[in-house]
Amino acid sequence: MKKITIDPVTRVEGHGRVSVHLDDNGKVENAYFHIVEFRGFERFIQGHPYWEAPLLVQRLCGICPVSHHLAAAKAIDQIVGLDPKDLSPTATKLRRLLHYGQVFQSHALHFFYLASPDLLFGADAPKEKRNVVNVAIENKELARKGILMRKFGQEIIKAIAGKKIHGIAAIPGGVHKTLFPDERAYFLQENDTPSIDTMIEWSKEIVDFIKAYHHKNFQWLDGFADFPSGHLGLVRDDGALELYDGRLRAIDSQGKVTLHDVPCDDYLKYFTEGVEKWSYMKFPYLKNLGRKDGWNRVGPLARLNVCDYLSTPLADKELKEFKSYYAGRPNNSTMHSHWARLIEMLYCAEEMKALLTDESILGTDLLREGNRRPEGIGIIEAPRGTLIHHYQVDEKGMITKCNLIVSTTHNNEAMNRAVRWVANKHLSEQKEITDGMLNRVEIAIRAFDPCLSCATHALGKMPLKLEVFDSENNLVAEKIKSAE
Amino acid sequence: MNSKDTLLIGIGNNGRRDDALGWAFLEAIEKSGLFEGEVYYCYQLQIEDAERISRAEHIVFVDAYQGHLKEGCEWVSCKPSGNFTFTTHAFTPTSILYLCQELYQKLPPANILMIQGQEWGLGEGLSERAQINLQKALSSFYEKIMTKTI
Repeated sequence: MKKITIDPVTRVEGHGRVSVHLDDNGKVENAYFHIVEFRGFERFIQGHPYWEAPLLVQRLCGICPVSHHLAAAKAIDQIVGLDPKDLSPTATKLRRLLHYGQVFQSHALHFFYLASPDLLFGADAPKEKRNVVNVAIENKELARKGILMRKFGQEIIKAIAGKKIHGIAAIPGGVHKTLFPDERAYFLQENDTPSIDTMIEWSKEIVDFIKAYHHKNFQWLDGFADFPSGHLGLVRDDGALELYDGRLRAIDSQGKVTLHDVPCDDYLKYFTEGVEKWSYMKFPYLKNLGRKDGWNRVGPLARLNVCDYLSTPLADKELKEFKSYYAGRPNNSTMHSHWARLIEMLYCAEEMKALLTDESILGTDLLREGNRRPEGIGIIEAPRGTLIHHYQVDEKGMITKCNLIVSTTHNNEAMNRAVRWVANKHLSEQKEITDGMLNRVEIAIRAFDPCLSCATHALGKMPLKLEVFDSENNLVAEKIKSAE
Repeated sequence: MNSKDTLLIGIGNNGRRDDALGWAFLEAIEKSGLFEGEVYYCYQLQIEDAERISRAEHIVFVDAYQGHLKEGCEWVSCKPSGNFTFTTHAFTPTSILYLCQELYQKLPPANILMIQGQEWGLGEGLSERAQINLQKALSSFYEKIMTKTI
């Protein structure tokens, strides 16, 4: 038996490894996506006062710290006796604006910096070419827009949280600062950062770009790593997409509802996690369907599959077109995640405009108080999918238990299925393992926009690698790139 | 160098001992009140920084240095280079200048001020050697502002 290892897998956030095991005839016997980093955030946060949680846990990640900050804040709101509806309208709107800015900048980062080299240059392009620098040099207009779109989201974060990474916005029961008129005006006017109207216009353009790309490359995008799965996401009471606070809905690969709009506080009734000895990342699944059938994808593709509509007009129009492609059936085409991600960018841009032009976002009623509870649960839709934070505290307010189920963890089984799909399709019974073949494995993983540092709660250098082993477990091929 | 038009970019991480030298330099400059330009703290240079530097007249990158520097700090002229090792996580000053030139057709004059550090483990606070080198770097910077010799 041979074994192939990709180590590190590149252009993802975090450190992991792919190993592919081949039999004596070179046929794929098995393929695994191993997550080999470990952090222990859930453990070392114990003993800290509850109000520190939103500050500490955002250190899980440098890309989506806002998501962890807000999920933890929602949980801590409950510990101070407040459910989401109890917060002041201004505080809720500021948190939402922060969240949309975060999703917007994270999606821009993923599409323009991480995914676009695969789409623009192809899986078989020389590895020296498949990077954002060459995207920038050969597609200057696209690059300039991508940079400014990410910047816009980051500036929204900075205006509300004080800085672009690891700022502070939410405090127990609300937010610590309002948005000032001059700060709001910055986003409504053209400056060195374009206005929100320009962001909407550019978001629409980039959705048109991916649709045109799909039109030319539909065979690859439709069929690559296409496999049935469940889909999970938050929805509003009326079924609309919800990113900040909603109910949990899941469907299976045929569209049958497997989790019917349940309150977030009840998540433990429905979810549990499995473990495998070859990965530090757990495998969440729905209890009623079991480990084999209860796993779900999360993230943009899953969210657009589970929701009924989008609450903003331009993005909703795009959603209808997106859903019509498979005649309303769930979309299981992994590469359509990119299309879905860009529709969500448009949605976030429209939502940001609605909030920025809402006078009450300048309000000063920022903080509410309630009666202490021993437990809090906060669930939001982070850029990469459903993010769960759950804390218990003692009578002194010290954290005694912390459970984090992050987006990438929900996608663990789906990413492993994607790796197996590519291994079977492109690595099995090949005389020679080429760089392009190995890159296809990375492309499949990359479509999920995994954040492996979040998922393992890891610290330090975070590359991913791919290895191929023979039937006697000898390494016969590997792909390693420094993450430095 | 006119300090009003200069962008000072401090690269570092204040959770990694002397890797904080770039930031400590900026903090001291801000505290002194002698510098009128823009200061920018960053962990790593990223692609969007090409856009930021395209708007400046002069750039000084300040970063900690792991090797030996005879004077404890050293100035290096920074020229754009497209011959770089790219990663998703960090760009070099030369590569970010190259991108700036490619994307925005701007090439502001740029220098790198390297400051030798000694301790790189997890933790806050500069080592004694790094603090001495920081003072040397500050003196050198002020001298160059006064004499406009950058």
